[in-house]
Amino acid sequence: MRRTTKIAAVAVVTAIALTGCSKKSDTSATDASSSASDDICKTADGDGPMIGLAYDVGGRGDQSFNDSAYAGVSKAVEEFDGSCVEGEAEDGEAESAREDRLRQMADAGATAIIGVGFAYSDSVNAVAPDYPDVNFAVVDGYDPDSKANDNVAYFSFAANESSYLVGVAAALTTQTDEVGFVGGVHNDLIKAFEAGYTAGVHAVNPDIQVDVAYIEESDLSGFSDPAGGKTAAAGEFDKGADVVYHAAGASGSGVFDAAVEAGDGMWAIGVDSDQYLTATSTQQPHILTSALKRVDVASYDFIKSVNEGTPDTSYVTYDLTNDGVGYSTSGGFLDDVSDQIDEYASKIKSGDITVPTAP
Amino acid sequence: MNALRSLFFGLLAPVIAVAIAVVATSVVIIASGSDSGVGSFWSIMLAVPQDRILVNIVNQSSMIYLSAVAVAIGFRMNLFNIGVEGQYLVASYAAATFVGAALLPGFVNIVLGLVIAIAVGAAWAGIAGLLKTYRGVSEVISTIMLNAIAGIVVSYFLDKYGVHGGNQVNTATAPESSWVPGWTPFTSADGAIWSLDLLAVLVGVGFWVLLSRTRLGFDLRATGASTTAAVASGVSVERMTLVAMLLSGGVAGLIWMPAYFGSAHVYGTTFQAGLGFTGIAVALLGRNQPLGMVFGALLFAFLSAQSNSLTLQTDISSSVVQITQGVAVLAVVVAYELVRRSRSRVEQRAVARATAPVNQEVAA
Amino acid sequence: MSPQQTVAEAAPEVRLSGIGKRFPGVVANHDVDVLIRPGTVHALVGENGAGKSTLMKILYGVQKPDDGTIEIGGEARRFSSPSDAISVGIGMVFQHFMLADNLTALENVVLGAEKLHGIRGAARREFEAISERYGFGLRPDVLVEKLGVADRQRLEILKVLYRGAKVIILDEPTAVLVPQEVEALFRNLSDLRAHGHSLLFISHKLDEVLAIADDITIMRRGTTVGTAVPAETTKRELAELMVGSELPSPGTGESTVTDVVQLRLEGLGLEEDGRAVLSGIDLTIHRGEVLGLAGVEGNGQAELVETIMGMRKATAGRIVLGTEDITGWTTRERRESGIGYIPEDRHRHGLLLDSPLWENRILGHQGERPNSRGPWIDREGARSDTRAIVEEFDVRTPGIDTAARALSGGNQQKLIIGRELRGEPVLLIAAHPTRGVDVGAQAAIWGHLSAARAAGLAVLLISADLDELIGLSDRIDVILRGRLVGEFDPSEVTPRDLGAAMTGGDQ
Repeated sequence: MRRTTKIAAVAVVTAIALTGCSKKSDTSATDASSSASDDICKTADGDGPMIGLAYDVGGRGDQSFNDSAYAGVSKAVEEFDGSCVEGEAEDGEAESAREDRLRQMADAGATAIIGVGFAYSDSVNAVAPDYPDVNFAVVDGYDPDSKANDNVAYFSFAANESSYLVGVAAALTTQTDEVGFVGGVHNDLIKAFEAGYTAGVHAVNPDIQVDVAYIEESDLSGFSDPAGGKTAAAGEFDKGADVVYHAAGASGSGVFDAAVEAGDGMWAIGVDSDQYLTATSTQQPHILTSALKRVDVASYDFIKSVNEGTPDTSYVTYDLTNDGVGYSTSGGFLDDVSDQIDEYASKIKSGDITVPTAP
Repeated sequence: MNALRSLFFGLLAPVIAVAIAVVATSVVIIASGSDSGVGSFWSIMLAVPQDRILVNIVNQSSMIYLSAVAVAIGFRMNLFNIGVEGQYLVASYAAATFVGAALLPGFVNIVLGLVIAIAVGAAWAGIAGLLKTYRGVSEVISTIMLNAIAGIVVSYFLDKYGVHGGNQVNTATAPESSWVPGWTPFTSADGAIWSLDLLAVLVGVGFWVLLSRTRLGFDLRATGASTTAAVASGVSVERMTLVAMLLSGGVAGLIWMPAYFGSAHVYGTTFQAGLGFTGIAVALLGRNQPLGMVFGALLFAFLSAQSNSLTLQTDISSSVVQITQGVAVLAVVVAYELVRRSRSRVEQRAVARATAPVNQEVAA
Repeated sequence: MSPQQTVAEAAPEVRLSGIGKRFPGVVANHDVDVLIRPGTVHALVGENGAGKSTLMKILYGVQKPDDGTIEIGGEARRFSSPSDAISVGIGMVFQHFMLADNLTALENVVLGAEKLHGIRGAARREFEAISERYGFGLRPDVLVEKLGVADRQRLEILKVLYRGAKVIILDEPTAVLVPQEVEALFRNLSDLRAHGHSLLFISHKLDEVLAIADDITIMRRGTTVGTAVPAETTKRELAELMVGSELPSPGTGESTVTDVVQLRLEGLGLEEDGRAVLSGIDLTIHRGEVLGLAGVEGNGQAELVETIMGMRKATAGRIVLGTEDITGWTTRERRESGIGYIPEDRHRHGLLLDSPLWENRILGHQGERPNSRGPWIDREGARSDTRAIVEEFDVRTPGIDTAARALSGGNQQKLIIGRELRGEPVLLIAAHPTRGVDVGAQAAIWGHLSAARAAGLAVLLISADLDELIGLSDRIDVILRGRLVGEFDPSEVTPRDLGAAMTGGDQ
């Protein structure tokens, strides 16, 4: 009897231990099968530039910024007759694993390497000096030390601006005067989304209540936890919100599911890429719009600059003025209000409105 | 029981477990219909590691080993400290904050930083120990909850007092005099084996000495083997629970210190989470034995480091390696139980032989 | 001395011939022949480990024999499970009752045999009829948790009869009973025999066997070594067949009692969950004295022992060891001040079963030479001392690195006794020191206790074996419902008197 309980306890502990380090297994399993056939990095073998694409946690198939980066890269590969290699971050991996991933790409001959996600800032900073002939870029990146690297570009996106616009859309759509926000991880990057969104909502009607929830406080698994996203969004729908905006990467699919389950007239707003296009047919009627962060544009531009021999370096900002951010209209749900949203957009471009970056 | 047979029984279970894990992983890869195939998976996994991978394996296995020992200290007395994750998180933050503040000169700063890591890890685990001792709260529940609380508390303080830059926030960088870089066996691009990896060796030896050479270790093992017998022998289970949790948490506090002093120098984005859970798996795999866990840690570090090439060269997700690791742990638990039984039968036979014909007591 | 029963005289109800059963490393039974005549009480005697349990498990279908045949009513049978045995009329009453406390007597009987008489009226009538026929006096609707040990045993027998058993195996049925209850049981058994049932009565208490059995089969070392009829044999002859040598008996010889008080309990009380488990216990044990404590199990002796050991905290009174008040001390402090402890349940409280013998020698004596120096374990010291114990106390083992689990009960117990006496204790708490131990080891243990007593040790001896108590003790106290209810001089008292005091009959 005692031994049985002991074994049971061990089994439970093992289960906890394993789920603790592999929360993302469900997403990656589907991803492995879907990516097998239509993966340009497996088929393209042109003589043009070779691009290394190092994904953040969540990887290809997150229907968000990893996919967006892939879209930009595949466009560039086709256009410049190049080739590419991909690598994906694991939840809770060592910093050295990130460095190793970048080095393997460089060793394999990649001339342009894109780290998708700010978590690559340190590893790119460590690796770049050893490969002066390779150009690196970090999406949302930041140079962690004072020593500037002349072969690294950091893309920064005015996500607060696009969030502001979808906040306007949410405010113009809500019937209950209550809207929600679900962030993946409570870090400075995502707080900018929250700040822009809230400002946009209040610009239309200061009395609208904005419910804010974050899936994880600091653990990056918040970007690959659809169940957590669903729980957070369902809580906001239950409280009375009828539009919920997510900035939670692959966890967003859970937010969409929560909107579907909340019923007709309940909306979710996507992020980074136009998520209406990648959503399931049951989710589509609930996806009001998406705050676009054109990682595809940035990635394409970067590869183009490398191909032309004038590689981007240092900070490159993408905002409304250069169409680096925006909002999507797929589904046609915003047809009646898009004029109003565009008005706000032009005020931001002209500087009449300054969008905050922190809540 | 001669030494050879002991060795045979000692190695039997892990070998069986790893074999089962290899088969299970292969089946999963075949079943998922990978284009690259099982062959390419294993040829990547079993390739001779590159120099920098070797360095990474050494560094990673040291940290995994520290975590496994922290877990094993509890396991040896049937105390399931699931909270190593939270303990080293809090301890790493506290130590990094202290060292980053650079209040003291280099070497003293390092030593005190380590002491703070131990003390904070122990204190965080001690909360669960106190709850169990005085309120009867299961340490499984309390440590899991403390993990969640640790994440929130550290994020709060980091956000409030950390150094913000771009999208990141870190603690203040450690002064260069308090760096403990290490030994570079290959080129500098291949990285250094951190000096503080030696902490793993020290802790491992210490764990062995504690278990096999001290009264405290004896009491710890006795409590794990039979709480009732330990109580009757005069062990205070309450006190042992507290001591074991403090020791476990103290070792947990050291887990990330080699990386911190060796290369990170800040607590922030580069902090490696998840080692606390890996430690649980490795402790199980190594049967809480000081030497067994060395192999477990090396195996896990090896698999993780090698798997990095998978997504670059094949269409197989590196998560597959987690299946290998998970199956190995589950299989080893079962295999050890089977081996234990057959070993016990062998021993009973030996006793029967040695004492026959006087004693023919029924085994059943 | 043992005249063989001739086969021709009656058609055998049950005949076991040439039964053999091997477990890994142990031959549990070989060449076992037993013949049970219809309508008799057949006693199967033998010391612990002689193979009695295995044999009856074979007859009841729990285990399959490797060799030999079982014939029931002249027909060869093979049982693959107890239900096969039940179907040919064999039932078994286990030593540890298999009853559900929270069900009624009737429900317990019907459980699993619903097909026989349903679960309602017919079942109730059958229950009452059996209880009436054999004078069990059991009421169908009483909850089992309210029943005493003797009633539970009768309920077990009723359960077996309900299922139509003609041959009933009783595994040490008297072990849990006081003398008065044993007599009642024997009356029940006689009634059963009178109604044509055969009973296989397993015991190692020879007085009882001689009182009730018609035939006796003796087992030793896994085989049957003889048969006897009570009228033509004596206890001593049976015992010698069982043991294969001369029978030891407990005895301490000359009194060695001094007038130095070693342990004094003053008004000791223990309250748990608002219930008084012990109250007003006053006793003293002198150096060189063995104080016996008699009582039916569950009357507070286990709690008294654990309170003296500090595993439970007294809620009233004082415990004085020598001149020191140790009431507030921890278990470890008490052990280190010289209290040796032979626990009632050696597997739960006395041993680390999966640890080697030399580590078990350290257990309970972690802070003593030669086991440790300061905070360090002295492996060599402990190991060589373990070798000395194995030698001196005749622990039969291939070596000191053998796991305690692999040893037989007697050898485990000898190790414990060796360990507890080794450190020159001033007080020994010995709870059932020879329980589950074979006769040879029993004699050795008695010898060690007597020797230690002669050397000035104070001993508190708790035992369910009244012969052992009377034989070893200088004084006997009786405990009933957590109170000491009488003191006896072992040289004058009989087991009957003790039994009366233990059940409160004469109080």
